[in-house]
Amino acid sequence: MTISLTVPDVLVARAKTGDLEALEALYRAFEAPVYNLARRMLRNAEDAEDVLQETFLEVVRSIGQYRGEGHLWGWIRQIAATKALMRIRREQVREAEVFDEAIMAGRAGHNVGQALDLERAMQELSDTGRAVVWLHDVEGYTHEEIAEMMGKSVSFSKSQLARAHTKLRRTLGAGMEVG
Amino acid sequence: MMHCTMDDLLALQAGEASGWARKHLETCAVCRAELDILYQRVAQLKALPGLRAPRDRWPAVRAVVLAGRDRRRRVWRAGTLAAAAALAGVLLLRPWGTDLEGQLVQAQQRSATLESTLQQVGGGGDGRVMSGREAALASALEDRIAAIDGQLAERQAEELEALNLWRQRADLMQQLVQVRVTRANYVGL
Repeated sequence: MTISLTVPDVLVARAKTGDLEALEALYRAFEAPVYNLARRMLRNAEDAEDVLQETFLEVVRSIGQYRGEGHLWGWIRQIAATKALMRIRREQVREAEVFDEAIMAGRAGHNVGQALDLERAMQELSDTGRAVVWLHDVEGYTHEEIAEMMGKSVSFSKSQLARAHTKLRRTLGAGMEVG
Repeated sequence: MMHCTMDDLLALQAGEASGWARKHLETCAVCRAELDILYQRVAQLKALPGLRAPRDRWPAVRAVVLAGRDRRRRVWRAGTLAAAAALAGVLLLRPWGTDLEGQLVQAQQRSATLESTLQQVGGGGDGRVMSGREAALASALEDRIAAIDGQLAERQAEELEALNLWRQRADLMQQLVQVRVTRANYVGL
C-alpha cells in the first residue's frame, strides 16, 4: 500500500493549538493507513481498531512535539507501529508460537498452497513474524529500526523475518507464487 | 548439493549476501527460482489492498480529548488559587532585590490581575453559550495555560525560565480575556 499523504502546514498548526476540527481532519486523512498498518500487523480487527484509537490519542497529546521534520505520515506511522508492537508484546503472554506451530503441524503433508491466499498465509504467521514481515517488506523499516522499536536485537529481527518467509513459502507453495 | 537458506535469500535480496551465496546463485537454478519467488512474494505483499476500519473511532477519540480538557480545566482552577496564594506570599514576605525578581513579580501580578478580570467577565467556564470557533479558541487557550501551570507546579524553575513561563501565562490570559470580553460585549452582558 503506497502512502503519499500530504496535509497543509496550516492544518498541522491548527491541530497543535488543540483545534478539534483540525484534529478530526488529521484523523480522517490518516485513519485508513493507520488502520491498514495495524490490521496487517495484528491478528484481529478489533485490536487494529484499538490501535487506531490509541494512535490518534497519542497524536492529539503529542502533536505539539512534531517539529515538521520529515513527513507527518512517517511520524504517525511510527506511533502506530509502536502501539501495535506493544499490543503484540502484551498478547504474547497468552498467545503463542505454539498456536502457530500447531497450525503448521496440522497441515503438514496437506497441499494447501493453492487454497490459501497471501492474506490468510500472513494470518497464520506468529504475531511477531507477521509484524516484522509487514514493517520490513512493506513499510520499508530497516532491521535496526525494527529492533529498536521491539526492544530486541537486529539478529532477532532478521531471524524472525527469515522464519516468517520460510513459513509463507511452505504455506503458499511454489505453484501459486511462481504462477 | 547445498542450497541457499532463507537467511541467504533474504541477504541476497538485501544485497548483503556472503560470497558463497552469490557464487552459488550463479550456478544454481533452484536457488535463483527461490529468490524470484521471494521477490514476487514481497511484491504481492506490497500490492495487497488497503483495509479500512469497519467502525469510526473518531467519536471515541474526541470524547477522551474533551474529558481530558475538562479535567485539566478543573486542575487549572485549583492551580490558580495556589498561584494567587504564592503571589500573595511573595508580595508580603519577599521584597525583591534584583531586576529579574522584580520582573517575575510583575509578570505574576499581571497574570493575577487578568485572571481576576477574567472571573468578572465569566471566564470560569460558566456555561455561557459561545460559538464553536470562540469555544475552540477559549478551550485551546485554557489548555495552554493549564500546560504552563503544570510546568510551574511540577518543577522548581530557574528564575529566567519562570519569568518566561509567567509572561507566557499572562499573554495567554490576556488573549482569553479578550475572547471573553468580546463575547460579553456582543451579547450585551
